[in-house]
Amino acid sequence: MTETSGRRARLAAWLDTRLGLTYPLLRPAPRYSINPFYWLGALTVVAFLIQGITGIMMMLYYVPSPADAFTSTQYIFQSVYYGRFLQTVHLYTAYAMIMLAFMHMMRGYFVSVHKKPRELMWIVGMIMGFVTLGFGFTGYLLPWTVVSKSATDVGVGIIDALPGRISSFLSFLIVGAGGDATELLRFYDLHVVVLPSVLLVLLIVKMYMLEAHGIAEPTTGPPIDQKASRSLPIFPDVTFYLLGLAAMFGSAMLLISAVFPLSLPPEYSPQLAAQFTAQPDWYFLWIYQILKIAAFEGAGLPVALGLVTVIFVALIALPFIDRGHSRRIGERPIFVTIGLIFVGELFLLAYWGLESPGQVIPTDSAAWLVVAIALLVGDCSFALYTVMGTRSVPRPGPEEVSKTQGRFRTALAFVLLLSGGAIAIGASLNAIVSVVLYGTSTSGLVQLGLSTTFLGIVVFSTVFLMYRMELAGASLKRRLDWLEIGWSVNDSR
Amino acid sequence: MIPARRVVALLLVLQIVSTGYVWTVNAIGTLNQARFAVFLAVNLLSFSIVTYIYTHDKWEEAISRGWILAAALGLALLLLSSLYFS
Repeated sequence: MTETSGRRARLAAWLDTRLGLTYPLLRPAPRYSINPFYWLGALTVVAFLIQGITGIMMMLYYVPSPADAFTSTQYIFQSVYYGRFLQTVHLYTAYAMIMLAFMHMMRGYFVSVHKKPRELMWIVGMIMGFVTLGFGFTGYLLPWTVVSKSATDVGVGIIDALPGRISSFLSFLIVGAGGDATELLRFYDLHVVVLPSVLLVLLIVKMYMLEAHGIAEPTTGPPIDQKASRSLPIFPDVTFYLLGLAAMFGSAMLLISAVFPLSLPPEYSPQLAAQFTAQPDWYFLWIYQILKIAAFEGAGLPVALGLVTVIFVALIALPFIDRGHSRRIGERPIFVTIGLIFVGELFLLAYWGLESPGQVIPTDSAAWLVVAIALLVGDCSFALYTVMGTRSVPRPGPEEVSKTQGRFRTALAFVLLLSGGAIAIGASLNAIVSVVLYGTSTSGLVQLGLSTTFLGIVVFSTVFLMYRMELAGASLKRRLDWLEIGWSVNDSR
Repeated sequence: MIPARRVVALLLVLQIVSTGYVWTVNAIGTLNQARFAVFLAVNLLSFSIVTYIYTHDKWEEAISRGWILAAALGLALLLLSSLYFS
C-alpha cells in the first residue's frame, strides 16, 4: 500500500514538473525572450488565427459538394468583395504557418528545448505539427481543381498500402463509402471542425506548459537564472512586443499576397486529370520523392511508408533519444549534425520532387544523392565543430584499445577506404562512359558529380589517414600500432 | 538620437490616412484588392514600428536608427508599390 502511494506520489511529482499544474501563471517574461527567434511558435499561432478569420469568411460562400465546390470557389474569386484577396492570404498564410512550425521545431531541436522539464511540451508540439500538416492535406482538396484533386488522390491512394486495419480505419475516416461526395465532405469537416478543435485544445495545453516552465534559457553565453531575469510584465511590454512582431508578419503576408495573387487552376474532371501529372504541395514533396524511388514502387511501398513513420516517431520520441544533459550546441555535435543532415535531406528531396514530377527515381541515383548530401553536410558540420565549437571544451583523450584492437581498426579503416575508392572509381568511370556515349543529361552529370565528389572524399580520407600515420616520418611501425585516429593503444593490455 | 515621439506621431497620421483610404477602395477588382492589401500592410508595418519605439523607450534601450530607417524605407516602398496597382 505504501509502495503504491509512493509510486503515485512520484508519478504526480513527475507530471507536475512536466505539466506545471501547481505553478503560477502569467508571470513576467525574462529579458532574453525579447528575440524574434523565441517567438516563432507565437507567429505560427498568429498565422493560424489569420487562417481562422479568412477561412470563416470563405465558409460563408463555399459549398462542399463535388458539383458546387469549384463553382463556389470561383464565385468567391470573382464576385465576392475581397474574395481573391481572402483566398490568396489564406493560402500564403497556410504556407507560412507550415514553414514557421518547421522553423520552430528545428530551432527547438538545435537548442534542445525537448530536454527536462519540457519533454511533454515537445511531444505536444510535434502532434500540433502533424495537425498543421493535416490542415494542408485536407484544405488542398477543397477548391476541387484538377491540381488539388489529383494530388489528393495520390495521397489517399497511399492509404491502401498501409496494414489492413489502419488502412480500413483511415479510409473510413477520410474517404467514406460514398465516393467523391463523402470524400470532399469529410475533408471539409476535418479541415474546418475537427483539426481546428484538436489544434486549439493542444494549443491551450502547450501554452499552459509554456507558462509553467517559461521560455527556455539561451544556450549561448553565461548561464542565466530564468526566475531572476523575469522582469518584463506580460502586459503591456510583452503583449506590445508580440503585437509588433505579428503586425510585421501580417504586413509581409499582405505584401506577398498583393504581388503574387492566386490564380485558380481548371476544375477537376477525370478526363482532365488523366492528362495531368499529380504532384503534392511543397511541404509533402519530400515524402512524394521517397515514394517515387524505384525500390519503393509497388510491393516496396509499405517499406517507404514505414521509413517515413520511423522519421515521425523518432521526432516525437526525441526527448527519450537525446538524453544528454547539455543543451549547448557546442557540446552536442552528433545530434546537431544529425539535425543538419535531416534538414539538408528534406530540402534535397523536396527540390528533387519538384523538378521530377511523376518520374520514378532509380534507386542507385537516390542512394547516391542521399548519401552524398549526408556526407557533405556531416563533413561540413564536423569541420566547423573542429575549427570553432569544441576548442574551448576540454576533450577526452583518445580511447584506449589493445594492440590487437588497434591493428584490427587500422586494417578495417584501410579496407573501408579501399572498398569505397573502388566503388567510387567504378561509378565515376560508369558516369564518364554514359556521358560520352549518351551525351550530357542532368542525371548523368549529377551522377558524375556525385561519384567524383565521393572519390575526392575517399582520396582525402586516405591521405589524411596516411598523414596521421606519419608515413613520411619513417615511423610507420609505431603509428600502425597506435593510429591517432580516435583510439590509443595500451601496450599493457 | 531619434525624436521618437515625432516619428510615432507621423506614423499614427499615416495609419489614419491609410485606414481612411482602405475604407474607400472598391474591393472587387484584382488590382483594387492588391492596393487594399498594400495599404493594410502599410498600416500594420506602421503599428509594428510604433510598438518597437514604445517598448524600447519603456525599457530605456537605444532606438536603433538603422531599424527605423529600414522600416521607413519599407513603408516608402509599399506606398510606391501601390502606384503599380493603380
